[in-house]
Amino acid sequence: MKINKEDIHKIENYLWEIPKTFHPKMRVPARILASEPLLDAIMEDRSLVQLVNVASLPGIKGASLVMPDVHEGYGFPIGGVAATLHPDGAISPGGIGYDINCGVRLLTSNQKIDEIKNKLEALSKEMYAQIPSGMGKGGQIKLSAQEMEDVLLKGAKWAVEKGYGEVEDLAFMESKGRLENADPSLVSDMAKKRGTDQLGTIGSGNHFVEVDYVEEIYEDDIAKAYGLYKGQVVVLIHTGSRGLGHQVATDYIRQIMAAMPSYGIEVPDRELACVPFNSKEGQNYFKAMCAAANYAWCNREVISWEVRTAWKNIFGPTVEPLKLMYDVAHNIAKVETHSVDGEQAQVIVHRKGATRAFGPGFEELPENYKPVGQPVIIPGSMGTCSYVLAGTAKSKELTFGSCCHGAGRRLSRTAAKKQVNAPVLKEKLREKGIYVEAGSFKGIAEEAPIAYKDVNMVVDTVSDSGIAKKVAKLRPLAVIKG
Amino acid sequence: MKIEYLPHTADIRMKIGGSDLEELFQAGVKGMGNILRDDFCDKHDSFDQQSKIEIGASDLTCLLIDFLSEILSISYAEKSVFCKVDFIAFTPLKLIANIYGRQIRGFDEEIKAVTYHEANVNRDNNGQWETMVIFDI
Repeated sequence: MKINKEDIHKIENYLWEIPKTFHPKMRVPARILASEPLLDAIMEDRSLVQLVNVASLPGIKGASLVMPDVHEGYGFPIGGVAATLHPDGAISPGGIGYDINCGVRLLTSNQKIDEIKNKLEALSKEMYAQIPSGMGKGGQIKLSAQEMEDVLLKGAKWAVEKGYGEVEDLAFMESKGRLENADPSLVSDMAKKRGTDQLGTIGSGNHFVEVDYVEEIYEDDIAKAYGLYKGQVVVLIHTGSRGLGHQVATDYIRQIMAAMPSYGIEVPDRELACVPFNSKEGQNYFKAMCAAANYAWCNREVISWEVRTAWKNIFGPTVEPLKLMYDVAHNIAKVETHSVDGEQAQVIVHRKGATRAFGPGFEELPENYKPVGQPVIIPGSMGTCSYVLAGTAKSKELTFGSCCHGAGRRLSRTAAKKQVNAPVLKEKLREKGIYVEAGSFKGIAEEAPIAYKDVNMVVDTVSDSGIAKKVAKLRPLAVIKG
Repeated sequence: MKIEYLPHTADIRMKIGGSDLEELFQAGVKGMGNILRDDFCDKHDSFDQQSKIEIGASDLTCLLIDFLSEILSISYAEKSVFCKVDFIAFTPLKLIANIYGRQIRGFDEEIKAVTYHEANVNRDNNGQWETMVIFDI
């Protein structure tokens, strides 16, 4: 399948469509949220072929969608949204991804950049010491079988109950850090074994913990509601459900692929394997995915505890504790109510490399956030900048309440390693005032800013299209990588 | 045995080849081991870890991907890298094998999954078995 620019029609500013007539297997159109230069960049890999394939999923409604940070994945594109009709539309583990509930959270301090500048090097080294990558030996916590059950059922609440988190944090997480449909008995022994010692670990790849400061505020009232102000030091955490989530996805893609023919489903790519949501296999996967999502929220809560420990070790026990601003998932499926063909209907929203971005009035939000909308956290590439946005009502109209999730890769890891001299990059970042602590130079090279699209362009696109508002820009000070 | 690493926007695309299916599957194991720990399987030929694997699948391509997935899970669970395979039984839909490797102190790369995307076990024009394997990183 080849997609040319002529196959793509502009339907409004920043919104492009490949019509349903493009391919006989498409059940809905495929839509791309992007500026024209970003669309041209997106066309350089196979993202749009993958987007067209997603439009063939049974029960898909509206359109298959990609955000401006999209890049080619291994089945579904990364940076995509697909909503299927509840209860018998498809659920596809590939539409969530192997890193179930990979996500980001932002912690805020009450310190300004000038107050911490002279301790930054010590802080980054202490954070590196406190936060294990989990790539060698495991983390500090070894879960018993009973504790594992509790983590999978309770999510972030487990960490709070065990003294690894703050009870105030729970209100400031998507779904309050726990999905109620979780069933630990549907998570395999192998998945549990892999998760036994990985709570509080970040992993490798694009996962990181970063100290930033607020460089710019765009919306005073919203920033105030979120507790953000210019010059403030904040901490960004990006990781997911680690080996446990990877194993759950692997186990169920295999099972669902085997079950698919009995539902008469054929897909153009095996990684799009799916079954009806209300089938036995669909429900088993959904409940296991919820359990893995809970593990991820617990993991990010434990990592926050490690960050808070490092903070106290450097700034003393009387330093005001870091507060959780918000925690969002960007690899997940949720049953939500959206407008479908002009009527409100329940749909299964698959977000793979996309962030929920609900507007003002959303019931689940903490009181302070309700009038301004849900925070959306967009990490940029290492050494550039990151953003805090606020969801809007328009995201519900255009993208099933979803927004982008990052800058989006543009170079392969091999190309990045060829083009980047990691020790030189580390030194250059240091000259710009950014400390990098990483397990390997290879990891630094693979995640170099040159490997990513310009996060400013991505964020300007989502903001100009109206699906989210720019609230604050964050500039990095220290990056901790696995 | 042929192992090549090709570009992919975010993940690792590996092309493997072999004169027979056993050699192709062995190439997959070695190629994956070399990612988990840089060039580990090129540097080691004595092993202290052993595990037995039995896998059944609906076709040859799934058999390879599921076989590599199983080895990946055991690698992380046992904190080991596996490099060598002895096949006890091998049919296009089922295999039994012993795998051999070594415990390691740390992984260089975290492979989230061995994916089915672009995988297609087939013979090339010269009769050599080959396939692409995409690892989610």
